[in-house]
Amino acid sequence: MRLNLVEGLWVGACMASVSLPALAQELTPEQQAARAARLSEEMKTWEPVAPPTDPRDFTGLWEVPIPLVGLRQTDGSQPPFTAQEAKDVQFHIDSARAGQVITDASSQCFPHGVPRLTTAPYPLRFAHAPGMVLMLHEVAHNVRYIHLDRPAPANEPYTFLGYSTGHWDGNTLVVETTHLNQDTLLDGNISHGPRLKVTERWTKVKTASGNTQLQNVITIEDPDHFTRPWSTQRNFAFRSDIANSAGSEGLVEYSCEENNRNQPGADKIVTAR
Amino acid sequence: MSSRFALIALAACALAALDCAGASAKVDAWADVPLAQRPVAGTPNIGGVWQMPRRIVALKTVDGREPPLLPAAKAQYARNIAALKADPGADPISGCLMHGLPRLLYAPYPVLISQERDRINFVHEANHTFRIVTLTKPLPKVDEDLDPQWLGHSAGRWEGRTLVIDTVGFNDKTWLDYSGLPHSDQLRIQERYKLAGHDRIKGEITITDPRTFAAPWTTSFVLTRKPNYDLKESVCARDHRM
Repeated sequence: MRLNLVEGLWVGACMASVSLPALAQELTPEQQAARAARLSEEMKTWEPVAPPTDPRDFTGLWEVPIPLVGLRQTDGSQPPFTAQEAKDVQFHIDSARAGQVITDASSQCFPHGVPRLTTAPYPLRFAHAPGMVLMLHEVAHNVRYIHLDRPAPANEPYTFLGYSTGHWDGNTLVVETTHLNQDTLLDGNISHGPRLKVTERWTKVKTASGNTQLQNVITIEDPDHFTRPWSTQRNFAFRSDIANSAGSEGLVEYSCEENNRNQPGADKIVTAR
Repeated sequence: MSSRFALIALAACALAALDCAGASAKVDAWADVPLAQRPVAGTPNIGGVWQMPRRIVALKTVDGREPPLLPAAKAQYARNIAALKADPGADPISGCLMHGLPRLLYAPYPVLISQERDRINFVHEANHTFRIVTLTKPLPKVDEDLDPQWLGHSAGRWEGRTLVIDTVGFNDKTWLDYSGLPHSDQLRIQERYKLAGHDRIKGEITITDPRTFAAPWTTSFVLTRKPNYDLKESVCARDHRM
């Protein structure tokens, strides 16, 4: 199994939803500096094959360089929880501390939900097809279809990954996802309701060091859980170095259903629903 | 459609070099696919949503005979059939594990084939299982360094107008079909896909497994197109269909 740069902390998407503060906050300034130096050294080897030059061509393998599971607003502050949601988040945190982890869909090998899937510390492959953009995720073989040629059908059912439509705003792919069921959490602790709408703005950018990234600005709207819309951001690094693995185009087969250690009923894990 | 628009559509067809018979309505959709990712000129277009028009439970050779099972494998096949009859839970996919190949193709669900210049993605509705097939990289060498996978490791190529995909590196935990046909981890399969008109694919699968079969053998299938079909979110643990 591929190890991420997580300072020895393994954050498995199929593992129980332990409340994890943003990882950077757990590190001392010295540790942060050491990680930044190591990352900057590693990044030099990530693009042996250059990404497509077309800014609207996202084809390739992408991975978050530093997994951050907990969601914060872009400026690092807490999301604008309603009073009830703040209580619920605290309940999740307290339960985990008490050894009663509350699991969500991903622990049961169901699709992760959005944006939780997008924050998972595993690579994904983007593919363009007529009328759609495909996001093929390593983790638990999650697949998202971003429809470019049709609106969400009127009678669309609510599902784990919802219904996603997309359009181009300049060179930014704007993806709007609705019809998300309530069996998922937004991260390890934050709940949502049927009125959730997630807007992602995906843009290919260059870092100061010349690496290619897909920047994803995620805006979350759910008037039943938040007092206003709020945004967070995840950047994905282009990884043609691992895209060359033979036989699977860079994605390691991930069968969550095989030997799932955290299915409901396992010790000290209770489900939210 | 105005004639001017039709001309543009035809030109776009030529540009994308796709099989454009009756496909002018799809031109707008291809416009969103980056030029560098569109299949090269002359490549047959097998992209779209497909499904087998009839259910195939037990694989037979192309001339309708039983596969050439070796004696021990024949006995195992009989045990699998009996176990399945006694308890559907004996089926390796009953716990929502991956189907393996070629069984995944025979699952009673549609498959989205997304055709890129350098790879072909098979996205199956069945438990959202997908397979990415390179068209530019070699098949990996089968040795102790190659991790066995439920769906193996694939590499494909165009041979004239036929897409040929070789797959190696399977585990031995799956069945080849819905009847319980066994295999070993020495399994290798070759799939061949050829368009027969715009809405039909004729497929062949050659199965080689010296520990299970006396000789390589070939079976065939047909896929028909499901136009304008949105793949549904199918989650095995929620809506299991065997």
